[in-house]
Amino acid sequence: MPRAPFPELSSSVRLKYVKLGYQCLVNNFVAFLLIPVMIAVPLVLVRRGPDEIMALWHSLQLDLTQVLFSVFLLVFVAAVYFVSRPRPVYLVDYACFKPPTTCRVPSATFMEHAWLINWDEKSVQFQTRILERSGLGEETCLPPASHYIPPNPTMEAARAEAQLVIFSAIDDLFKKTGLRPKNIDILVVNCSLFSPTPSLSSMIINKYELRSNIRSFNLSGMGCSAGLISIDLARDLLQVHPRSNALVISTEIITPNSYTGNQRSMLLPNCLFRMGAAAILLSNRRRDARRAKYRLLHVVRTHKGADDRAYRCVYQEEDAEGHTGISLSKNLMAIAGEALKSNITTIGPLVLPMSEQLLFFLTLVGRKLINHKWKPYVPDFKLAFEHFCIHAGGRAVIDELQNNLQLTAEHVEASRMTLHRFGNTSSSSLWYELSYIESKGRMRRGHRVWQIGFGSGFKCNSAVWKCLRTVETLVDGPWADCINRYPVDIPDVVKP
Amino acid sequence: MGVNSDAAAVYGHKLSTVVPGSVSGEAVVHELADVDLVMKLHYVRTVYYFEQHETIDGLTIVDIKKPMFPWLNSYFPVTGRIRRTEAGRPLIKCNDCGVRIVEAKCCRTLEEWLRVPHSARWRPLVPDKVLGPELHFSPMVYVQFTKFKCGGTAIGYSWSHVLGDPVTGTNCINLWGRLLGGNPPPKSLLPHSARTPTGRPARQAPASATPLSVKQVEPVGDFWLVTNACKMATDSITITESRLERLQSEKLNGVPAFEMISALFWRCLASVRRGGREPRVVTICRHKPRAKRCAQLSNEQMISTVSTSAASPVDLDLAELAQLVSKQQVDETKLVEESIDGDGGKPDFVVYGANLTFVDMEGVDLSGLDIKGEKPVQVDCVIDGVGDEGAVLVFPRGADAGGGSKGGAAVLILPEDQIMKLKEVLKREFDIA
Repeated sequence: MPRAPFPELSSSVRLKYVKLGYQCLVNNFVAFLLIPVMIAVPLVLVRRGPDEIMALWHSLQLDLTQVLFSVFLLVFVAAVYFVSRPRPVYLVDYACFKPPTTCRVPSATFMEHAWLINWDEKSVQFQTRILERSGLGEETCLPPASHYIPPNPTMEAARAEAQLVIFSAIDDLFKKTGLRPKNIDILVVNCSLFSPTPSLSSMIINKYELRSNIRSFNLSGMGCSAGLISIDLARDLLQVHPRSNALVISTEIITPNSYTGNQRSMLLPNCLFRMGAAAILLSNRRRDARRAKYRLLHVVRTHKGADDRAYRCVYQEEDAEGHTGISLSKNLMAIAGEALKSNITTIGPLVLPMSEQLLFFLTLVGRKLINHKWKPYVPDFKLAFEHFCIHAGGRAVIDELQNNLQLTAEHVEASRMTLHRFGNTSSSSLWYELSYIESKGRMRRGHRVWQIGFGSGFKCNSAVWKCLRTVETLVDGPWADCINRYPVDIPDVVKP
Repeated sequence: MGVNSDAAAVYGHKLSTVVPGSVSGEAVVHELADVDLVMKLHYVRTVYYFEQHETIDGLTIVDIKKPMFPWLNSYFPVTGRIRRTEAGRPLIKCNDCGVRIVEAKCCRTLEEWLRVPHSARWRPLVPDKVLGPELHFSPMVYVQFTKFKCGGTAIGYSWSHVLGDPVTGTNCINLWGRLLGGNPPPKSLLPHSARTPTGRPARQAPASATPLSVKQVEPVGDFWLVTNACKMATDSITITESRLERLQSEKLNGVPAFEMISALFWRCLASVRRGGREPRVVTICRHKPRAKRCAQLSNEQMISTVSTSAASPVDLDLAELAQLVSKQQVDETKLVEESIDGDGGKPDFVVYGANLTFVDMEGVDLSGLDIKGEKPVQVDCVIDGVGDEGAVLVFPRGADAGGGSKGGAAVLILPEDQIMKLKEVLKREFDIA
C-alpha cells in the first residue's frame, strides 16, 4: 500500500514541472527570442569597434530630408496609435447595500409563511426541499412588504424598497469617494422586474438633484446579468465623452414579485431572491487613475436568444390560475453551460496566456485532422485570473461552474458565502462577492478578477477587471460586521 | 349589540411576523420542564387599552416593530416552535421563526368599546389562536395592535403558558415597552444555549398518588386545547377599597386579601352551584415573586389544594372558610410535576379549571407596560383553555385598574350561566357590584 502512491506522486510532480516549464517557455516566447538578440548585438558592436560602426553609419548616406521624414512618420504613427486607443475605464469605488436586521427572514419563517399562504401540501414540501438545499443562511433579507401574510405588494411599497436600497448604496458611495451629485455625467440603472414611471433613474435624479444635462439610462427586463450590461453601456459612453464619470446602479426589487401560486417551476425564484443593490462609480478621467481600485479590461456579452430553448428557459408568464411568476425550465443548467462555453470561446483569446491558447489550438486541430476522439482541451482559467466572481444564482449554478472551469473551493468561496449571507441578490451579487474578496484581504495590486453573470434571454456576460492598488482590509461594506465568521461550512441539507 | 357584531367591529386584520435581530445559533433547543408541560393547554390573553394621545397614535407600525428585534434577541426561545423528541416529548426548537403581529382597526371609539361586556370585549382584540394542529408552524406569542376610531389603541398579547407563568409573560412584554421608550437593551439575560438537552434521570413509574389539583384529559395530540362541556364566559368584578377594609376588619382579622377574596368567591359559587356539583375542593395557584427584569422563562407557580372535608362551603362561615384557605393548603406542586412521564411528556393535564381554581395574580406586573411614558387606562387579563370548573384570577391590589387603586379585583372565567347568578349572590350577600 505505501509503495504504490510514490511512483504516481513522483510522476505527477514531474508532470507539474513539465507543465510549468512549457508555460514559462511559451508565455515568454518573445522574451526568449529577444534576449539572445539583445545580448548578441552589443557583443558584435563591441567586437567591431567604434570606427567600424561610424563607417557603417556614413555608408548609409542618409540626408536630412530622409531623417526628418522618418521621424515625422514615426511621430504620426505614434499619434494615431495613442488617439485611437480606447479610453481606459476606471472603477473608482463601489458600495453595496447592507440590509437592516429588521428585514431578516430566517428559513423557518420563510417556510411558515409559505405554508400559511399556500396551503398546498405538495408545493410547501417542494419549497422546503429547495430551501434546505439552497445554501442560503439565516440572515438573508426580504423587504418589509414581504413579511406580511400574504405579502402586500403595492406600488408604494415597491417604490419604498427601491428608495431604501438604492439611496443607501448611493449615500455610501458618496461617502467613500467624495463624489458630489452635480459632478455625475452619466447614470445607468438596471432593475429587471420593477419599472415604474417615472423611471428609477429619474427617481435618483430627483432625490439627489443631478444636473439637467445628465445622460441617464434605465435598463429593465434584462435579467440577472444586467449589471454587466450596464457596465458595458457605461464603458461605451465613456469612450464617446471625454473627462467624464458614470454612476451605475444594479439592483432587483423584490416587493412586486413574490409568486403566490403553486406551479413548481415558478416557486424557485421565491426561495432564492433577496434584497440587494450596488452603486458603482466609473470614470475615464486621468486624475481618477491614481485613486481608482480597478481598471476595466474586457467586457464580453453572449446572447443565446436565437435558440428557442434558451429564449424560453427563464420565462415570466401567468400560471393556470392567473398568478404571474418566473418559470425556470428543467434544462436551465444545460443551457447555462452552453452559454458559458460560447462566452469562454470569445473571452479565452483575450485573457488566456499563450501557452493555454496554443494547447487549445493544437488539440482543436488534432481533433479535426488526426483523431475525433481526443478530449477537447479545457483551458485553465486559473492562470488568467486570481479571483472569480460567479453570479450567486443558486447552489447549482456555482457547482456547475466550479466543475466546468475546474476551480478550487477557494475560488468559488466568494460566491458561496455571498449566497449564504445575502441570498441571490440578482445583478448586484457580483459586487457583494467582490466586496467579500476585498474584506478577506485577498485583493492585491495587479490581480485580475473575472465576473460572470447569467440571466434570462439566455445571456452569459463577463467582465474582466485589473486591480490597480492593494485594497486594505477593514473595508467598510456589507461584510464589515460578519467577515470574521466566514467562510462557514454549508452542509448539503439544513433543516429549518 | 350581539357578540357577533362586537367581533365584526374589529376589521382590516393584517398579519406579519417579527423575528429576533440576530441569529440564535445552530440547533439551539429550549427544553421544557415537566411543570411547563403540565400547563401547556392554557394560554394567557391580556389586552392593554391606551387612551387617545398623540405620542401613541403617532406611532407607525415601523416604530412599533423596530424595538421588537432587540427585544426578541433577549427572549429568543419565544420565537421558536414546538418539536418533539423521538420519544414524543415536546421541546422548543429555537429556530427564530418569530412572533405573529396583527394590525387591525375598530370602527368604534375606545369609550364605546369599554362599555361592551367583558366577555365580548377582550376576545376580538387579541388573537385567540392555540398551539396546533400544525405545531411546527404555530407561534407561541401573538401581539395585536388595534386602532380605535378617533384615537386610542389596544394592545392584545397572547402568551402560551407552556413558555412560562403570567409573571414571566408580562415581564416579557414590559421589556418591549421599555425598549420602545428608548431604553437600551439589557445585556443578554438568557444565555444562548439556555437549557440545552441535559440527561434526564430515568424516572421510575409515575407517582402512585394522583394530585387533586389537576385533571388528566384525553390525549390532545397536536392540538393543544381542551373543549369545554359548556360555554365559558368571563367577567370582571371590582371590590372597592372600603368594602375590602370592612370585610377584613369585620370578620377576617389577619387573613390576607387574596385568601379572603378567594374564600368569598368560593362561598358564593358554592351557593350558586348548590344542589349540583358543589366545589368541595379548590385549587390555589400562587406565583413565586420574581424580579421585574428577570427574563428567565419558567413556570414557577405553587399549586395547592384546599378541601372542605364533609361540609359544604356554603354551610361554613366566611371567616372559617377564609381561615381554611389561609392555613390548610396542601402543596401539590411536586406531586403534579411527578405525574408527567419523563420521556414522552404524557399525559395531558388541565390545571386551571380542573377544580375551581383561584390564581393569585399579585406578582403579575400588568401596569408595567408603558408606551413612551403612557400607561394603559385599563387592562383585561384572562386565561384561555380553562376547564369546566372555572377559575378566578384574583388581583388583591386591583392591579388591573391600572390606576393603582387599593381595592381588589377579580376576573371570573366560568360557565356563562353561573356568572349572572354569582353576581346576584355577591350583590345580595356582600354588596359587591
